[in-house]
Amino acid sequence: MKTKLDNATLKAEEPTEEQQQQQKQKPEQELASDSDSSYEVSFSGDDSSEDAGSSKESDSVVSGSSGNEGFSNESNSDGLESGDDEDDQSESFESHEGVEESDSSEDEVAPRNTVGYVPLIWYKDEPHIGYDLKGKKIKKKDKEDALGSFLSRVDDSKNWMTFVVVLWRCARSMMSTMMRRCSWRKTEIKLVRRLLKGKAPHADFDPYAPYVDWFKYEDAKHPLSNAPEPKRRFIPSKWESKKVVEYIRAIRKGWIKFDKPKEEPRFSLLWGDDSGSAEKANHLSYIPAPKPKLPGHEESYNPSPEYIPTQEEINSYQLLHEEDRPKFIPKSFTSLRSIPAYENAFKDCFERCLDLYLCPRVRKKRLNIDPESLLPKLPSRKDLKPYPVTCYIEYRGHKDAVTSVSTEASGQWIASGSSDGTVRIWEVETGRCIRNWEVGEAVQRVAWNPSPELPILAVSLGHDVLLLNTGLGDEEQQNKIKDLLHIETPTAPRDSGDMMTSVVSWLQDDKYEGIRLRHFKTVSSVEWHRKGDYFSTVMPAGESRAIHIHRLSEKFSQRLPFKLHGLPVSSTFHPTRSHFFIATKKNIRVYDLLGERKLIKKLETGFREVSSIAIHPAGDNLIVGSKEGKMCWFDTDLSSTPYRVLRCHPKDITNVAFHRSYPLFASCSDDCTAYVFHGMVYSDLNQNPLIVPLEILRGHTSSNGRGVLDCKFHPRQPWLFTAGADSVIRLFCH
Amino acid sequence: MDIDGDTEASSRRVQVRFITKLEAPLKVPTTSIAVPSNLTRFGLSTIVNNLLEARNPDWEAEPFDFLIDGELVRMSLEQFLLAKGITAEKILEIEYIKAVAPRKEEDPSPHNDWVSAVDGSSPGYILTGCYDHLGRVWKASGVCTRILDGHSDAVTSVSTITPEGAKSVTVATGSKDRTVRLWKFDAEEPVNHPLKIRAFKILRGHKASVQSVAAHVSGKMVCSGSWDCTINLWQTNSLVMEGDLVSTKKRKVNDQVDESQLEGEALSTLVGHTQCVSSVVWPEPESIYSASWDHSIRRWDAETGKDLSDIFCGKVLNCLDVGGEGSALIAAGGSDPVLRIWDPRTSAPVFQFASHASWISACKWHEKSWFHLLSASYDGKLMLWDLRTAWPLSIIESHNGKVLCADWWKGDSVVSGGDDSNLCISSAIYV
Repeated sequence: MKTKLDNATLKAEEPTEEQQQQQKQKPEQELASDSDSSYEVSFSGDDSSEDAGSSKESDSVVSGSSGNEGFSNESNSDGLESGDDEDDQSESFESHEGVEESDSSEDEVAPRNTVGYVPLIWYKDEPHIGYDLKGKKIKKKDKEDALGSFLSRVDDSKNWMTFVVVLWRCARSMMSTMMRRCSWRKTEIKLVRRLLKGKAPHADFDPYAPYVDWFKYEDAKHPLSNAPEPKRRFIPSKWESKKVVEYIRAIRKGWIKFDKPKEEPRFSLLWGDDSGSAEKANHLSYIPAPKPKLPGHEESYNPSPEYIPTQEEINSYQLLHEEDRPKFIPKSFTSLRSIPAYENAFKDCFERCLDLYLCPRVRKKRLNIDPESLLPKLPSRKDLKPYPVTCYIEYRGHKDAVTSVSTEASGQWIASGSSDGTVRIWEVETGRCIRNWEVGEAVQRVAWNPSPELPILAVSLGHDVLLLNTGLGDEEQQNKIKDLLHIETPTAPRDSGDMMTSVVSWLQDDKYEGIRLRHFKTVSSVEWHRKGDYFSTVMPAGESRAIHIHRLSEKFSQRLPFKLHGLPVSSTFHPTRSHFFIATKKNIRVYDLLGERKLIKKLETGFREVSSIAIHPAGDNLIVGSKEGKMCWFDTDLSSTPYRVLRCHPKDITNVAFHRSYPLFASCSDDCTAYVFHGMVYSDLNQNPLIVPLEILRGHTSSNGRGVLDCKFHPRQPWLFTAGADSVIRLFCH
Repeated sequence: MDIDGDTEASSRRVQVRFITKLEAPLKVPTTSIAVPSNLTRFGLSTIVNNLLEARNPDWEAEPFDFLIDGELVRMSLEQFLLAKGITAEKILEIEYIKAVAPRKEEDPSPHNDWVSAVDGSSPGYILTGCYDHLGRVWKASGVCTRILDGHSDAVTSVSTITPEGAKSVTVATGSKDRTVRLWKFDAEEPVNHPLKIRAFKILRGHKASVQSVAAHVSGKMVCSGSWDCTINLWQTNSLVMEGDLVSTKKRKVNDQVDESQLEGEALSTLVGHTQCVSSVVWPEPESIYSASWDHSIRRWDAETGKDLSDIFCGKVLNCLDVGGEGSALIAAGGSDPVLRIWDPRTSAPVFQFASHASWISACKWHEKSWFHLLSASYDGKLMLWDLRTAWPLSIIESHNGKVLCADWWKGDSVVSGGDDSNLCISSAIYV
């Protein structure tokens, strides 16, 4: 191959004029004898090598000549070819050789010409050429036009050079004809347009013409196949009989075993539970309707006497709630004839239909969890005794709702204030009212001085705060108190623009032998400091001057120099440190009164309206009650959000209280109940407080929509005092 | 009731024999008789009354109580025998005693205010304390002989301190005005209208209300418990000492009275209670018992002032009495409806009586009987108890309101005061 290639290239490099001339001559000859070209191919098998050589030469000549003549039409193909490697060229040569051979054998094989050595000229005028094996005439092919004959010769390597030349000529002639007639016929334009539209080229062609089946299958008299039935169809199969014998043997010997026939249950449960059949049903959504209750012995027309209720029992049914009453009362009849019509027949039918039709049946996925196990493990209430449980003593005497109650330090007395304008002192032990002040205005809050030496009562009513001498305590104490509660010169409000000065005036109240502190707005709450010298008052409408701290020994008031955000509700002193808690509607603010005098902490309750606040005697925990009936426990060391939120009361919580020594706290609400909780605070910082609900204390009755207005623990006993809107104070004892 | 009648032939019968320790007219023949087993106390009582009537036609029916093996019958005989596991085959010995129940309610003696204290330890008179700051001496129901005037606040407790046999009577009163006052009067002296008398001695020293007063058996000393958590011991003698005179003069000036009033100071103070000492008793010369709101009952050595023993109860205690068998059982009631009785040798109460509905304000042992005691409660009821049964023997509902105090009087009456300002006397109780 390489050598051939080399030759070819060499030859291609030096085309000679002679060859060019030869080439020009050759197509002319061939064109002249185009009709018999095929036969020439078949006969030229002998000198194929020569032909190959000549074709090589001619090919190279073509490329050379094309380059010379520079025709655009061929320059494309030429460019492509010249861009290819020489290897390709050589391969193409080779393939040309193969094609030439196959052409000679296959193309003309089908009508095998057995013309023999008869010269073709003899058939020149005949419509056929020679004969086939059966002696039939082989028809001559129609004369192809120039292009057809050319195309038939495209593959023909022998005519390769002629093809190129012809192509060239054709192109030239077409060009010339195109030039000649530049206008198309109308039909042609239509045709082109239809083609452009993507339709069939001919207008009269219907692509959606109805299909006509030309073959008739029905009523065919004769089978499609004319073949006779084979014999084997009529003979029993030998192989099958062999197989059957084999099976019979296997069954007899017990090699093959059959499943036992399934036994169909003879009886079906007519009234049985349908739950099983539901699983069988393919529809997952299908839930069978519950079946009505089966009649029992008691529904018999003549039931045994033990089923028939006595008259007393029937009467007792009337006392039951309508839903609890038995639906059917058994009765005895002597015969079936005497049974009256069932009076509820229609009603029952109707209700059953309603049940079936309206009652949505839903598959409920139920987790099989013991609800007890979900509850947190809390200690038993029994172990947390003592705590207030029962009301034993009532303190009666007030004419209107008791708004506030306060216990004396020793626990011998309690004081109460009421909307009827009285302040009373009661003996805890017997429930006797020992003092009664007619103050003439609804009392908001009473607060007993926590110091045991100073049995002074602070009472807030309207715009005033009264400091009352209770008259308890020995003479020495009385003298001291009288000194304390004496004002030489009443102080007017000093509104000199100083931030610290207050607008509270201290007046001597001769009627009650006490001091009257006149505020400019309604005072809602009074709270003593643990030492009994300072006390704070809250005026919710006082805006920036809402909270004052008063000093009894100095008879001096000052206003809290901190800006409040929100309406103040209540305030309280820290039990051990100099901190001050202010409850506003939404949150709790803790201020340091000494030292830096600033906001230390802000506790977010998350409530809409805070109503009360109480501090654990250790000072680190506080509870806040809200008007939504929720109560939250703050561990101030832990975070500024509630440690626990207790949703207990259905109505407003009016007050919350901590016990001074027992781990108890309580909340009271307008729903006429007080809740008692165990609230253990551990000294170990790692242990969170333990909160256990203990008891719901009932007993108060609602009055004007209000229930229990205040609750206070006895300072030394696990007892709870509750002040109700029903004008009664109750003592709940352990 | 027709005992031997055929009507109850179907029911079971028990052979019983009635025995008694009562005196002759109340004795029945000791022959055994068959009685229906479904008889209750009332039925048995009828039988005994019938038997007595058979012997003495003038006999008036009287209720009896019945004891079988030392227990009071409070159900039908059959149930009782079943419960106690006693065989009905043998002859059952039933002891009968007079039923302990008041047969007579005397007219209430009205006071001006709540009656807070009552003392019936002396058969000649009843001593009451009242919230109107006065003490009163009653000879009988409605007959007031003396008014003890002098306290400046409610009287909380009264106590007779006269030793037996003395002609003139000495009493002590404690009050919320923080003093204990001693009074002297002649109980025998007839008076037409109440005589006001003044205290001969004022004992000052408590810092808070005096809650309870009790006297030494000899009458030479009194002790008082107070809200200041202490118990003070005082001398009752009327000897005038130097120190006392000075203060007396001062009082004279203040009160503008001619009678001399002594003042006394506490001999010693028993400190140990942490809360109000609500009740003190001094049954034996050597030991004082006290009950307190700190849930404890303590026994103190009167000589040394030492705390000898504690009993913890868990509840606030309001009243205390020592008596019963060997005068050693401690009965106490407090802030719950349970009357508890301790044997001082054990820490747990040996009896608990829980029929009351509210706080128990008073409890007293009967002087003579080992078994009987009374209790008063804020639910307005007085109950008589026998240790031999868990049910109250009788319930006296003479007050309408809290009963604040109660005591036995003359061994057969119960005197009580309450917040209805009445002193009620229920008499003819045969114990």
